[in-house]
Amino acid sequence: MLIKKTLILLPVIICAILLQSFFWVPTYDEQVKGNPHRLKEFINASTGDAKILNPILHADSSSGAITDQVFDGLIDRDENLMFRGRLAESWDIYEEAYFYVNPAASINGQKISRPESIKDMIFSHKKSNNADSSLAGTLNNIKDIEILSAREGETEIQIPGPDTNKDGLPDPVNIKVRYKAPPQLKITLKEVDQGFFDKMEQFLGKGYFKNFSSDDFIEIVTPGHDDKKAAIASEVLPATEHNPVIVFQLRKGVKFHDGHEFDSGDVQFTYDAIMNPRNLSPRVSDFEPVKRLEPVDKYTVKVIYKRLYSPAFGTWSMGMLPDHMLNAEALKREAESKGADAAEFTIKDSDYNRHPVGTGPFVFREWKSDQYIVLDRNEKYWEGAPNYKSYTYRIVPDPLTQEMEFYGGAIDSYGAEPHQVERLKNDPKYQDFSGLSFGYTYIGYNMRRELFKDKRVRKALGMAVDADKIIRYVMYNEAERMTGPFVKQTDYYDKNIQPLPYDPEGALRLLNEVGWKKNSEGWLERDGKRFAFTLITNSGNDLRKSILTIAQDSWKKIGIDVKTDLVEWSVFIGKHVNTGSFDALILGWSMGIDPDLYQIWHSSQTNENQLNFVGFNNKEADDLIVKIRQEYDYGKQVEYCHKLHRIIADEQPYTFLYVGKWTAVLDKKIVILERTLSGEEQIKKITPTRTGNHTFYFNKWIKLASNPRFETE
Amino acid sequence: MLSFTIRSFFQKLVTLFFISIISFLVVYLAPGKPSQIDPLNPKFTPQDLVRFQKEFNLDKPLHIQYYLYYKNLFTGQLKSWKDNQPVMGKVYERFLNSLWLFIVGTVITWCLSFPIGISAAIRRGSVFDRSTTFLSYVLISVPGFFFAYILIIFVVKTFDVPVIGMQTFGMSNAENIYQIMDRVWHLVLPSILGALGGIALLSRYVRAQMLEVIHQDYIRTARAKGLSTDMVYYKHGFRNALLPFVTMFGLILPGVIGGSVITESIFAWPGMGRMGYEAILARDYPIILTLNFIVAVLVLIGTFISDLLYMVVDPRIRL
Repeated sequence: MLIKKTLILLPVIICAILLQSFFWVPTYDEQVKGNPHRLKEFINASTGDAKILNPILHADSSSGAITDQVFDGLIDRDENLMFRGRLAESWDIYEEAYFYVNPAASINGQKISRPESIKDMIFSHKKSNNADSSLAGTLNNIKDIEILSAREGETEIQIPGPDTNKDGLPDPVNIKVRYKAPPQLKITLKEVDQGFFDKMEQFLGKGYFKNFSSDDFIEIVTPGHDDKKAAIASEVLPATEHNPVIVFQLRKGVKFHDGHEFDSGDVQFTYDAIMNPRNLSPRVSDFEPVKRLEPVDKYTVKVIYKRLYSPAFGTWSMGMLPDHMLNAEALKREAESKGADAAEFTIKDSDYNRHPVGTGPFVFREWKSDQYIVLDRNEKYWEGAPNYKSYTYRIVPDPLTQEMEFYGGAIDSYGAEPHQVERLKNDPKYQDFSGLSFGYTYIGYNMRRELFKDKRVRKALGMAVDADKIIRYVMYNEAERMTGPFVKQTDYYDKNIQPLPYDPEGALRLLNEVGWKKNSEGWLERDGKRFAFTLITNSGNDLRKSILTIAQDSWKKIGIDVKTDLVEWSVFIGKHVNTGSFDALILGWSMGIDPDLYQIWHSSQTNENQLNFVGFNNKEADDLIVKIRQEYDYGKQVEYCHKLHRIIADEQPYTFLYVGKWTAVLDKKIVILERTLSGEEQIKKITPTRTGNHTFYFNKWIKLASNPRFETE
Repeated sequence: MLSFTIRSFFQKLVTLFFISIISFLVVYLAPGKPSQIDPLNPKFTPQDLVRFQKEFNLDKPLHIQYYLYYKNLFTGQLKSWKDNQPVMGKVYERFLNSLWLFIVGTVITWCLSFPIGISAAIRRGSVFDRSTTFLSYVLISVPGFFFAYILIIFVVKTFDVPVIGMQTFGMSNAENIYQIMDRVWHLVLPSILGALGGIALLSRYVRAQMLEVIHQDYIRTARAKGLSTDMVYYKHGFRNALLPFVTMFGLILPGVIGGSVITESIFAWPGMGRMGYEAILARDYPIILTLNFIVAVLVLIGTFISDLLYMVVDPRIRL
């Protein structure tokens, strides 16, 4: 019966045709099936697309991931988070210190207004070994002294005016100033020395710099500002000035992907492009401390800074743009070919941002919006071409899809959540990584409020909360204890400082010392007032919500009446954090590697809209914070950081809860492949660096056809 | 016949006109303006908003917008607001992607529904009949996306193969035969999922139709004549039971767009349903309205075809 046979055979045949295709598809274990190229491709999945592929303009992590591969900075950080040269082969940091001759001061009893005499005096002291031993180091650090003769002129400066603009910040006012400056000494120091002028005072007489009255040398032309004369004067003619200088020796023979050679002109161009207000670069504030940048020759760049600010060095890890593709002339040509107004056309409008050309290990190939970005390896990369032939950044918005594609071998890496990695931990097909992230979660106390003024109270509150339990049950052990505000895997963090113990009884004793006693109902009371406050955090963060509940419960147990509140993010920031109207809050900071704590911990930053919203105010800490950001010597910086860490850990303005961990999972077939000098290939297991970065040797990664066996195993 | 065709054509044209007005109004009167898609985008200044509105005629009165919109649609000048690409080009590209899914899904549905429905009807009350009935109700009542996720996770975790998208990512350097088979494989899961609901429903209809037919007098006559069981069921029974389904064939046409929104979204399939869904989220009116219009046309064509088919297969019907 034909109909019956057809009715049965047709579906069987169709299903068979469809299902046999399964045998042709590459599986996770056989990703090379029919597609041997797969081993040389690295496919990274991301939930979001890149926005603008320009290292000076982008502000999102997807664009950052691509520009990191396409561009090189002058420097970057090595496996120990120390700086190493990239486009710069080496660098030299020294200082140019300036001070005005103070005609009013007397040195060793006599008034010296001739700069030459001071110079001779310094040199003769330097030569004679009988100088005060504490001064010897300072004097030996002097390389050269130059005399800048007296000068006159007119200048314009900006000061905050009486009116405020729409952001609530004072509108700047321009003020014209005429000055008649005395001679100045420019002293070149071999090493940056923030204590240089203090030492010099020992030599030139106490108050030599402080008593330099710059207002005698200026005249304010713009009327109506005479009351601020002293402030304006010290800005126009500062008695002393530290100008740290960085001289970069650039790597020779590095080529952009289009074959054009990279040189000092490109560094200059990149800096100018950032500082050009029309480009609206989000990196402007990073480079604000730069006084000027001078290309010395084709391969040497000199950067002179306005003031001591050591974190500025790290900003040179930013990718370098090619001058020849984006300079005014090139932009004009592009504007004309597009029929746009050349005067309005900036780097922001250029097609370059979708077709970037850099010097990095990968060359841009294609960008399909919301689908993928493909990069090819740079065969001529100065450090040797990467092992992978191509790098694909695939946009997969759905996390479940990402996970499924990973299991199928269609992506190599994705933003795996801790619980997803946990599932694969013992699976021989995968390798997993985890490391500490650069950030921490804390409970902050408003130290302006009477309740939290005593550090014993803050300590007691910290001791009453079991942070280990929070790590275990809220973070599933994907976190570690933290005792201070530095990145835990750096040397700045003092590992000898012990976290607060969980000790509710001890906490109670401390509170008793301060005068809080339990009343008949079991609440802590002082002068008839109950120990009560409100702990808040933002809504929408389940981790913080859990911590909120745990803290409330822990504190209730020792008799503290805590109310809690979840506040919507913008209200939380606008109404509570920025205005400082809160008792205690749960928040987190993400940190840079640099140990600059000025914004979060300096007492000058406690006003509205500033980041020291807990009102931490400690003279010694302030001093150290400033010293740290002015120090260029790593050893000293570490020493200051440890001191500061100890102060903060002792003061307990925050209860430092934990630092979270990031997790990652990779196919086990991905290994590090190195060629020895004799050309032999050697495979190694991917191991995270000391600081927990597993992608550090990415350019040496490759995927093998089957699971590798390592000799060391 | 001819007069019916002409009459029907004009009737449908009028219907289409009203549909176009209503769908236009519904889309435009829905809350959320296209200019509000990205209020947090700092680049979207008020000047940009004005320029945007001017460029897309949003500053004009509604009836003018309506006129301009359909004029652009028919002259092929309509452009998507999101990326400024011509709508027809985008729709055509997506249509080709959806078409495969639709064809394979439909073929599976129809090929499997008949054998299942007929067997269930013939063996009424048997274990097979009861279990297919049960399964059908399960499939009809459980939402499709749930099955989709279960199926994806099961297949991927068991066989370690990629199933998402139209092909395995990174296969563009592979040999042709592998690429083709890879595409076929990627069709399997979404088309099966798309077909499941259809099979459940259609096999029920087939069963009901078949049951009705096999209790007719002429079937008893055929049996009495001494025909073999197969002959009775498949020639006399099946042919008559088939009648209503011929007309249904016309009505599946609009499924090219509407039937696959969920499946396409879950499988990241770049088809028309997903495009429509994304366009709605992005308030991309030209895309929404064009798809709306195409669906309306397909529905009308579908009813027309089924009217014609009715006449062809059932000589008793005269329109």
